Amino acid sequence: MGQEPYVEEYTIQAGDFTSIGEASTKFRATLKMLGIPSEVVRRAAVVAYEAEMNAMIHGGGGTLRMTVASDHLEIMAADQGPGIPDVALAMQEGYSTASDEIRELGFGAGMGLPNIERNSDRMNIETEVGTGTVLTARIDFPGQ
Amino acid sequence: MSGGIRVREARCRGCANCIKSCPTEAIRVIDGLIRIIPDLCIDCGECIRSCRDKAITLNEDEWDLLKSRDGLVLMADPTFYVQVGAYSRPRLMKEALEHHGLRDIAEYASIAFDLAAYAAAGVIREGGENRPYISTYCPAVIRLIQINFPELVGRILPVESPLETAVTIWRNATGGKEKVTLVAPCPAKATLVRCPVGREKSSLEYVVSVQKVIRDLLACNVKVTGTKTKAISRRWLLWSISGGESRHISSFSDKGLTSVAVSGLRNTMDLLNELELGRFGGVDFIECRACDLGCIGGTGTYESRFLSQLRLDNIETEWLPSHEEMEEIRTCYDKGIWRLDNPIQVKERLPLSQDLGEAMAKLREMDAIYAGLPHIDCGSCGRPSCRALAEDIVRGQGDETDCIFKLRERITALSGEIRALSSKLPHTLHPSGKKRQGT
Repeated sequence: MGQEPYVEEYTIQAGDFTSIGEASTKFRATLKMLGIPSEVVRRAAVVAYEAEMNAMIHGGGGTLRMTVASDHLEIMAADQGPGIPDVALAMQEGYSTASDEIRELGFGAGMGLPNIERNSDRMNIETEVGTGTVLTARIDFPGQ
Repeated sequence: MSGGIRVREARCRGCANCIKSCPTEAIRVIDGLIRIIPDLCIDCGECIRSCRDKAITLNEDEWDLLKSRDGLVLMADPTFYVQVGAYSRPRLMKEALEHHGLRDIAEYASIAFDLAAYAAAGVIREGGENRPYISTYCPAVIRLIQINFPELVGRILPVESPLETAVTIWRNATGGKEKVTLVAPCPAKATLVRCPVGREKSSLEYVVSVQKVIRDLLACNVKVTGTKTKAISRRWLLWSISGGESRHISSFSDKGLTSVAVSGLRNTMDLLNELELGRFGGVDFIECRACDLGCIGGTGTYESRFLSQLRLDNIETEWLPSHEEMEEIRTCYDKGIWRLDNPIQVKERLPLSQDLGEAMAKLREMDAIYAGLPHIDCGSCGRPSCRALAEDIVRGQGDETDCIFKLRERITALSGEIRALSSKLPHTLHPSGKKRQGT
């Protein structure tokens, strides 16, 4: 079989809290159809969920794309938001620039990026202040 | 499908009510008959509720046959004791059953439920990272987690259903060798007997519905005095209503227990989804019940769930066990009979193909088929949704023309083609019908 990767993409609306976790749920269903081991599915669901939340809260909406290849999967979240001035600071557990409104909804605990890092094998953030942020997280399949 | 649901094909009209009611999309209607996909069915009983023709029922053993045997031993679900006012206490019910020559082991059940709550409190206290734990009590929820939320399997409490443990305690205490019949409020509990999870074989042998036994008792209208048997604690009866198990566990917990209790499948699925996304930090215990209000809402019960709720709300409960009861609980605890034999396994649904590349190709094909379907999920094709039809087609279990809209499109295209063909004439005929002028 030709191993062309399977790609799935979602548009994230800014502040659309009604559809929280929707992309993550759809990705999970896709991965199950493909027979990806449940531990990988669990990690991918967390990564997708946190990336989706970040783009929704901080990035003013954006795109979430999952690419499944033969030995790994990659989740990419891209937004045209304000960018992250200090990535190292944003990576600290508990640090968040979320507004009080967001915190009242139970989000903005400053755990999103650390959670993504913990649940992926490789994570990369490209960001430019005033232009936007592209986050990619890769999860390798076991036995690879 | 693990033995909790029975389909009576003769009664099935092939309508689409059950297809749409199934929370795991386990039902198809093919060639006018219900087909249940065993790998997806969680025995929750939603299809039983939705079927107007009574073509789907709780799969129970023959009660008339069972009760004709001597010395029948019953292990009744706590729901059984809140169905009728006249027998709304274990000791009253015991007396009514004895009048029929039936033995009820409620006093051992009460210890088993205490033991389960005590053991759960211990596991949760030591739990650390594994919190929040999920209750093991509702078999439909366990199956739902195994199939749809495999990532949560590790959070299920390793505590055996007290309905099983009660039989073990009774056998140890009395040396009883008789086969035990479970009086169950729902198809999910019937699976405890027919297809147990986390153990090789059930200690229960037969299963009948709460409804059957209660109707029988009411028909005889036995007067009870409540003086013939000793009092039995009532804490465990609260397990039949949402939140009762959490309350019982927290009564054994030395520090406050933070728990969330939900009932009904919709709520259960929402909660498990949120739990999978890690949104329940700080919660110790999660209690889910597939039926509305808890087990009193099961499809095999007799009484209105609202009246059962009223009865339970007014029950006087002594939450602290007596000194003797506590000693008994500790003795049983030390024997370890409360522990599940085997860890609960994931039940992965078959992927589109075992080969990843092929599965991707099939998924693309499925996306393409789905894009061409009307997306109104009408159920006429016998599937719960257009997406499910697309999946069935790529799995080789369906055809695009199963969709009534696709079929009409095909017929329209075909009739257009027939019209075009019928307007063509052989060259030997002139359209005006005249013969050509010879030159």
